[in-house]
Amino acid sequence: MTLIKQLAVVLVSFTLFAVSTVSAKPFSPKKPIELIIPAGQGGGADEIARLVQGVIEKNDYASKPVIPINKKGGSGGEAMTYVKKKNGDVHTLMITLNNVLTTPTNQPELGIDFFNDFTPLARLITDTFLVWIATEGKNTAGINTFDEFIAKAKGGSLVMGGTGKMSEDELLLGMMRGQFGFDAKYVPYSGGGAVAKGLVGGESDFTLNNPSEQMGFYQSGDSKALVMMTPERNPAFPEVPSSYELGYPDLEYYMMRAFMAPAGIDAEVRDYYTGLLHTVYWDSEFQSFNIDDGKLMSWLEGYGLKDFLAVEYDKHSVIIENFK
Amino acid sequence: MSNISSKFTVKIAEIVVAVLLAMCSIALMIKSAENRIDWTAETNMGAGFLPFYLSAGMLVCTLITIGKFILKKSPQSKDDNPFIQVGAERYIYLTVISLCFLVLATAYIGIYISLIFFLAFYLKFFSNKSNIFIGLFAYETPILTFLFFEWLLKIPLPQGYSEPLFYPVYDFMYSESSLVEKIIYIIIILFLPPALGLLSKRFIK
Amino acid sequence: METFGLLLDGIFTSLQWFNLGLLIFGCLVGLFVGAMPGLGSVNGVAILIPITFIVPPTAAIIFLAAVYYGAMYGGAISSVMLGIPGASTAVATVFDGRPLAQKGDAITALSAAAVGSFVGGTVSVILFTLFAPPLAEVALAFNAPETFALMVMAFATFVGLGGDDIPKTVFSILIGLLLSTIGLDLISGKPRLILFGMPGFLHGINFLVLAIGIYGIGEMLWTLESTKGKVQMAKMEVNMNEIGKAFKKLKSTLMAMSIGSFLGFFVGILPAAGATPASLMSYGITKQLSKNSKEFGTGVPAGVVAPECANNSASTGSMLPMLTLGIPGSPTTAILLGGMILWGLTPGPLLFTQEPEFVWGLIGSLYIANFFTLVLNIALIPAFLMVLRIPFAILAPVIFVLCVTGGYAPTQSLHDVWLMLIFGFVGYVLRKLDYPVAPAVLSIVLGPLAENALRQTLILSDGSMGIFFDFGEKPIAASIMYIALVFLLMPLAGPIKRKFFKAKSA
Repeated sequence: MTLIKQLAVVLVSFTLFAVSTVSAKPFSPKKPIELIIPAGQGGGADEIARLVQGVIEKNDYASKPVIPINKKGGSGGEAMTYVKKKNGDVHTLMITLNNVLTTPTNQPELGIDFFNDFTPLARLITDTFLVWIATEGKNTAGINTFDEFIAKAKGGSLVMGGTGKMSEDELLLGMMRGQFGFDAKYVPYSGGGAVAKGLVGGESDFTLNNPSEQMGFYQSGDSKALVMMTPERNPAFPEVPSSYELGYPDLEYYMMRAFMAPAGIDAEVRDYYTGLLHTVYWDSEFQSFNIDDGKLMSWLEGYGLKDFLAVEYDKHSVIIENFK
Repeated sequence: MSNISSKFTVKIAEIVVAVLLAMCSIALMIKSAENRIDWTAETNMGAGFLPFYLSAGMLVCTLITIGKFILKKSPQSKDDNPFIQVGAERYIYLTVISLCFLVLATAYIGIYISLIFFLAFYLKFFSNKSNIFIGLFAYETPILTFLFFEWLLKIPLPQGYSEPLFYPVYDFMYSESSLVEKIIYIIIILFLPPALGLLSKRFIK
Repeated sequence: METFGLLLDGIFTSLQWFNLGLLIFGCLVGLFVGAMPGLGSVNGVAILIPITFIVPPTAAIIFLAAVYYGAMYGGAISSVMLGIPGASTAVATVFDGRPLAQKGDAITALSAAAVGSFVGGTVSVILFTLFAPPLAEVALAFNAPETFALMVMAFATFVGLGGDDIPKTVFSILIGLLLSTIGLDLISGKPRLILFGMPGFLHGINFLVLAIGIYGIGEMLWTLESTKGKVQMAKMEVNMNEIGKAFKKLKSTLMAMSIGSFLGFFVGILPAAGATPASLMSYGITKQLSKNSKEFGTGVPAGVVAPECANNSASTGSMLPMLTLGIPGSPTTAILLGGMILWGLTPGPLLFTQEPEFVWGLIGSLYIANFFTLVLNIALIPAFLMVLRIPFAILAPVIFVLCVTGGYAPTQSLHDVWLMLIFGFVGYVLRKLDYPVAPAVLSIVLGPLAENALRQTLILSDGSMGIFFDFGEKPIAASIMYIALVFLLMPLAGPIKRKFFKAKSA
């Protein structure tokens, strides 16, 4: 009898203990975390996503692995529809590039509500944009400064290689058209690498690329950058002037690399993932890789991030409106 | 059932398929026209240009096929054999239906649970294997599929409502215990039931 | 001479026991992943990227290149044994590999694939060693007009592949091209043919969905019907003697080997093209130039050797634009490229001089990986043949499971699995009515490449098609275009000649 009693006591206390630990335990993932990439393999977003995956895996920052999944369709439309459907799912994250700011406006038929369908977690990095020309370009030979370039571009129609209609670089071209009064023929390619190769191969005259995509040709001297669209010079490109220096403070544009979760998750879950990303952000390997690559480390979370996204979203809506 | 399908001859299939394809081509032409289908020097090729003319080409091809059918110029237009060989219909229909059920069920109860039912049904129907064999096969295949996709390749397959069932499995997979320990557990899970199955067979004998 | 020294260093690097271990393990992983329908080198490479953070970059790239290589061999195994192309690069292998296996000569098909792959891989790695830097210039000069011309040539080599019913063959080509236009249009930024507003169509239709549907599901239904569920598989003996006999049959495939190796390599180094058009073109050209071109498609060893030789050759070739220009020719090289960047290397013209140990370690490892995959493949032939001993009633559901998982894995969307089933059922019905299915599969592979290149060129030329035939402006594009025309007209040459001679003798 006593034995059974004792057993019962042990059982009950064990259950209580289990229950209490379950409720007191902070959130941790119960299955592998899906990291949705709204772009194809090999792009800038893909690179960061796989870097984050690698850093988490190498250092055991999370109890379950992160699995990157590319959903490149519809310029981010497919990924956003997928994450929207995953409302309340605590094992889904999405890395963003700027197409998440433009696609809801460009493709209203998808029915994506940027501000209510997602939970922004954190922005880790902003990538910069530069104006690139080939050193021995047939139409751009001898050009060394951004002003010379504008003069040339106004004179005749140059060809610009880009990453796809209505993508960031074409919007940027639209911005420059308004500011400097030149236009260019826009040829879309299937990725940043192909854009860079089109430039050096002589098919296009200039591009508005991120640093990493042109890095190889830049180092070998096959291509050169005329201006970086930031307030300050970047240590990775010491001799490239910033747009502020040249007197064009309106020419400022970034690619954000932020992370989002689906809407409808608890604050606890949001805090867990924000914390995880924060750990990744301060990982020395993550820091040095991005700084060497000319990216700006720019952690932002919470209300700051929300305000930032609201401002950027409106800014992009205006650019798209002007573009049409 | 066999009566209906023996009346459904190659001849009828040929014209039915050609008409259906022609209708699809027209629908695709209409759908393509949602984008610009013109090609002018200033605006260049519209996004709908290629799809529109490709489906127009498809329409022409099907119309020729229909024409050949009416003129009895194609071998199919004179073929009065049943479209599906007599005696084979049930294999085809059952395979098609069971595959559709497999995918439909995958969306709700996940692939691993659906596979058990699919394999059990399919083997019961098509093979003359014993129930014990079928049971074991339906048990082992989903486990091997899980190990291969989720563990080795890290490709998550759809789990639907059965997702919480797998939380303890993931906890085990990514726990601190050593690889050897994990493999021992997997071997037990994989080989204990077949061993029991063999034993029970001998026992019944 | 300096190159030779560097290469020897590279070979020794990959022969260090640690690297060699990784290399053999990588080959095995690749072989296995490549042999699964729907999974290819891209999956193998992607899952292993995180592991490579732990080892030095040279070891990492040796490992990943071995996976890539192994998967190229592996694709052939599923094409031959199951009749389902495991990757787009192995489509053409089905055309003759499958009939060979059905005739009971799977050993010849597998040996042809293994030897073809080995020869293609070796020839291309030698070409790579000798001519890498100047070839980078060629790759750089290859832009949109040249790519389109190449695609036209790829189509032209396939004129003879259709059936006898011309409207049905053309229909098959057109529907393949039409399916390839589904999704977001790169040039206009507009979604196209999003049928019924389903978001699943936004990413377009993956080639594998169509290929697995038609060759997996469709083929199984076909077999089920013709045998009423009671398939008797040919029994065969496997011993060294049989393999030796199979090797002897390969003597007749020397032409296929040389076409595959050289064509594969040159198509492979072109940034946009990659291994898939290379293997298709190699098959098409070998068929057209062969004396017994009528027999292609019924199971001739040359029909297996040509595409297998070319796809291995091209995958080595496609390392060239990746290393020297930083341009990925395929999703796999895209991930490799991402990996290189993460290891702190900058792909580009300077990589050869800045990181010789890495580059030559990689090239050296390709020699070794080639050798080991050949040995592994020959040694594993008996194991692959076990598949044929499985009773059909059990093999059928297993293949269906492989099809469903294989249709799901590339895009991870159930929408694609439904599409695959539909393609399978429709493909089965159409095949019974004599609509050839191979042209549709080819078109969906080549369609997007051709369309983008065409429309990019048209933007540059302000809508003029003349640019493709202008020797002064685009010499490379124009020459390819004219060669393509020759290939297009070649099937006509036969009947004309016959008519001419008939008229003369009459």
